[in-house]
Amino acid sequence: MEQNERLKLLKKILLADTKEVTDSLIADVEKLSSTLNEPLELSQKVDPLIDKKIKKLIDDMPQKLSPVITSALKAEIKNSQDAVVEALFPIIGKMIKKYIANEIKLLNERINKQLKKAFSFKNFFRSKFGKKDIANEIIASSNEANVLQIFVIEKASGLLVAKYAKEEYDTMDDDLIAGMLTAIKSFVEDAFKLGGQNLETISYELYTLHIQSFHNYYVTAVVNGTYTNEFKDILEDKILDFAEKGISKEEINNSEVFSSRLKIYFSEQIV
Amino acid sequence: MSKLSKKIALVGPFGVGKTSLFRRFIDDAFSEDYKSTLGVQIQKKVIQMDNGTALSMILWDTEGHEEISQSRSSYLLGSHAFIYVFDLTRIDTYKNINEQIDFLKKNYPNVLIKIIGNKLDTVALKRVKKSLEEHNVNYDCLTSAKTGENVAELFVEIAVDLTN
Repeated sequence: MEQNERLKLLKKILLADTKEVTDSLIADVEKLSSTLNEPLELSQKVDPLIDKKIKKLIDDMPQKLSPVITSALKAEIKNSQDAVVEALFPIIGKMIKKYIANEIKLLNERINKQLKKAFSFKNFFRSKFGKKDIANEIIASSNEANVLQIFVIEKASGLLVAKYAKEEYDTMDDDLIAGMLTAIKSFVEDAFKLGGQNLETISYELYTLHIQSFHNYYVTAVVNGTYTNEFKDILEDKILDFAEKGISKEEINNSEVFSSRLKIYFSEQIV
Repeated sequence: MSKLSKKIALVGPFGVGKTSLFRRFIDDAFSEDYKSTLGVQIQKKVIQMDNGTALSMILWDTEGHEEISQSRSSYLLGSHAFIYVFDLTRIDTYKNINEQIDFLKKNYPNVLIKIIGNKLDTVALKRVKKSLEEHNVNYDCLTSAKTGENVAELFVEIAVDLTN
């Protein structure tokens, strides 16, 4: 064998493995390059990793951020106590007031129930001699229900027919109140498909709107104080009584006369 | 001086400018921002009539519906007048208008109905009148809530009709 041929053979033996490795590397690089240049393919490869990272970040976020936020809030509240009190006071004040009013209402009803149950003979005896229920009187008097305004509203159109308001409680435009009350009332009755039932009360904070429906009209009484079931019964009777005796059929269409009749009937304390 | 209250409901499809007409008449204001009315909004304007009557026009601006039959009937009940508003720039708001008006006439008899084409400022009057004629639309008034054109006149006309 010639020297040249031997050299060729040696080359072939030595470089055979390297060529295979090189070919394989070139193929890998081409595949990688095509993956990198093809957004869809790249997205398929990378998205799961990003999703995993994001999920981990979301999972870790409360743990990592909450101590920082809590301490920042604590420091801020400590440094601006006056501002915090000023901001929270109206809300907390109202909440406490509402809570107390509600608790008094519950207590009042509970005591009444207990007294009626436990001391029925005593109650009978006292009422016979003209004495009133003392517990009821003491507790209810602290937050007596009081009719502030009465609106008589035409059911279909929402137009105000008559109105009485205690002077200090006169509110915004009565016609708009009558219209909006009618819209709210009919919306509730329509939306919840209550099968011919009527909206009877609307409560807001310390006030209750007592709504009593008649055929063509409805009456809304704005009540503040403790609106108990007992008060509701009395007010319902009073309104029914007014409808029966307080106004004649001829006077119904005369708004001014109607309003003056309402004033006569409802200006005094009901209970 | 006698006082009188009348309920007037603005009805019609979405985005035809019912609320804009309402605002133009009540506050003499206009806004380009479109916010769809949810439910109803109510406002009042008192008009002093020549005969001495103070007429309180209680306006109910109702939410838009493609079909008037989809409107909440409780918002329409007891109305003394309906203002049916359509959009002069959108044929779909007036091509079936006669069916809508027939529905109102059938379900709310004896109620005054005014048919109003709004957005007059954005159309060529001649072309739009031709289109209205082709679709057999018997309108009462064409208005622009944006410029205020014919808005006050419309409500005064309704007030006169309701007090006569």
